[in-house]
Amino acid sequence: MARIVVITSGKGGVGKTTTAAALATGLAMQGRKTAVVDFDVGLRNLDLIMGCERRVVYDFVNVINGDANLRQALIKDKRTENLFILPASQTRDKDALTTEGVGRVLDEMSREFDFIVCDSPAGIEWGALMASYYADEAIVVTNPEVSSVRDSDRMLGILASKTKRAEQGEGAIEARLLLTRYSPARVEKGEMLSIEDVQDILSIDMIGVIPESQAVLNASNSGVPVVLDEESDAGQAYIDAVARFLGEDRPHRFTTLQKRGFFGRLFGS
Amino acid sequence: MPSEAPGASRESVRAIELKGRMMLVSVLRLNTADAAELDAVLDARMAEAPDLMRDMPLVMDLEGLGPLPMAELLVTVERVRRHGFKLIGIQQGEVATAPVGEACGLPLLVLGAKSGEAAARKSAPEPAAPEPRAAPAPAPAVHTPTRVVTQPVRSGQQIYARGGDLIVMGAVSAGAEVLADGHIHVYGTMRGRVLAGVRGLATAHIYCRRLDAELISIGGHYRIAEDILDSERGENRLITLVGETIRITEI
Ligand SMILES: Nc1ncnc2c1ncn2[C@@H]1O[C@H](COP(=O)(O)OP(=O)(O)OP(=O)(O)O)[C@@H](O)[C@H]1O
Ligand SMILES: [Mg+2]
Repeated sequence: MARIVVITSGKGGVGKTTTAAALATGLAMQGRKTAVVDFDVGLRNLDLIMGCERRVVYDFVNVINGDANLRQALIKDKRTENLFILPASQTRDKDALTTEGVGRVLDEMSREFDFIVCDSPAGIEWGALMASYYADEAIVVTNPEVSSVRDSDRMLGILASKTKRAEQGEGAIEARLLLTRYSPARVEKGEMLSIEDVQDILSIDMIGVIPESQAVLNASNSGVPVVLDEESDAGQAYIDAVARFLGEDRPHRFTTLQKRGFFGRLFGS
Repeated sequence: MPSEAPGASRESVRAIELKGRMMLVSVLRLNTADAAELDAVLDARMAEAPDLMRDMPLVMDLEGLGPLPMAELLVTVERVRRHGFKLIGIQQGEVATAPVGEACGLPLLVLGAKSGEAAARKSAPEPAAPEPRAAPAPAPAVHTPTRVVTQPVRSGQQIYARGGDLIVMGAVSAGAEVLADGHIHVYGTMRGRVLAGVRGLATAHIYCRRLDAELISIGGHYRIAEDILDSERGENRLITLVGETIRITEI
């Protein structure tokens, strides 16, 4: 049985798809058979970030509707063993995701995979609810700013009651926080919330802190998940997050300002 | 906030006072207009807790009925009244248009998207809030168990302890709302909206580990974030109603 994890946020554009791609790739690199599913029907871009957009034939909705079977729709990643992508449909709308249909497809995938990573659309509407409904656990992606944290708080409340597990009386699924686009310099200037601020407001476990990084932009432009850029700060931070996801205890890195050199001290504010 | 109408004399201002008060309104949504069915369920509801029900100000939501002839709407509203429910308004909608409100003799209210959200809006119209209504509702004869919430109350969530006290073990987030007919204890940081004594209990208290609220209210009186001084925010606070003033003290 696969472990189903949803990557969600409430607010849009915070880094869910980047995180879903990184986590799925990271898990596959650890030898776990992993599928990453794009729930963002109508706005698919997971395939772009995974660099497989030119190999899409069938999509998630096709499988739900029985137009194609899983084997036909799953795209095998070319770079990473054990990794498969189920793209979203560009042409349908969110109503195509029925509770029954999504359940049936995830169920079938569960037999084959170790992990299923669900990339949720933004918002708290149907698509986002479907992405989290069957999840065993959640990673809530947040940026260090008030509106994003507020939306994550909202999403955590929804996760506590609106999953299948919650409905069956198994209680809230485990939810952990991934803080991304973190910039220690801007925190120091008071332009961003600090890790402590965010944790104080949300009071949940932090699975990772990803720095604001040019490497992420480079990665999405070239269609290579940023975890594969092992030299980069963001790549390493995601590798740490994957290790924590698998139960390892690692300290957070890239969370403090690099020590300024002599000239920095001389001319710094 | 009460403001003097242009030209109003001092005397006339004193003779009546217009005050922003909040109250909790429950919304009674009807999903059928079938007489027999309604009679049965309304009877059952009333029998469950007659004291509570008879005092509860209710807003009717007719949208579940779909388009019906005016006469039938009137009969249906009247039917609910005859069972002893205190109707104070009708939620405005596609079914409940202005003529329907007029015909029923009830004001049309625009409530927030979620029921209850409008209960504590500073600017919400309160057509049916005559001052005497703030008198404490008769307490139910039996002890109502305190409602204990062990999870944090997150943005968008609302928790109401009807007929009793509320204890929240974790935080109340900004954007969340907790209400109780009695006292409220919050053992995390209180950032959201917190309303104690919502059915008029002026002696209700709010206790919190840390006060940083968007709104605090007791017995219908309230203070919004803007009116809470920085010096009043902080750890271990007790909030009480003294006369008509919400007082914040350190425990
Ligand atoms: N750590 C980071 N540093 C710099 N840029 C980042 C970082 N993480 C994400 N971004 C950028 O933010 C933008 C949004 O990222 P992404 O598409 O992953 O967000 P999303 O939450 O999936 O958005 P949507 O809600 O639209 O699905 C992208 O341009 C991405 O490159
Ligand atoms: Mg996305």
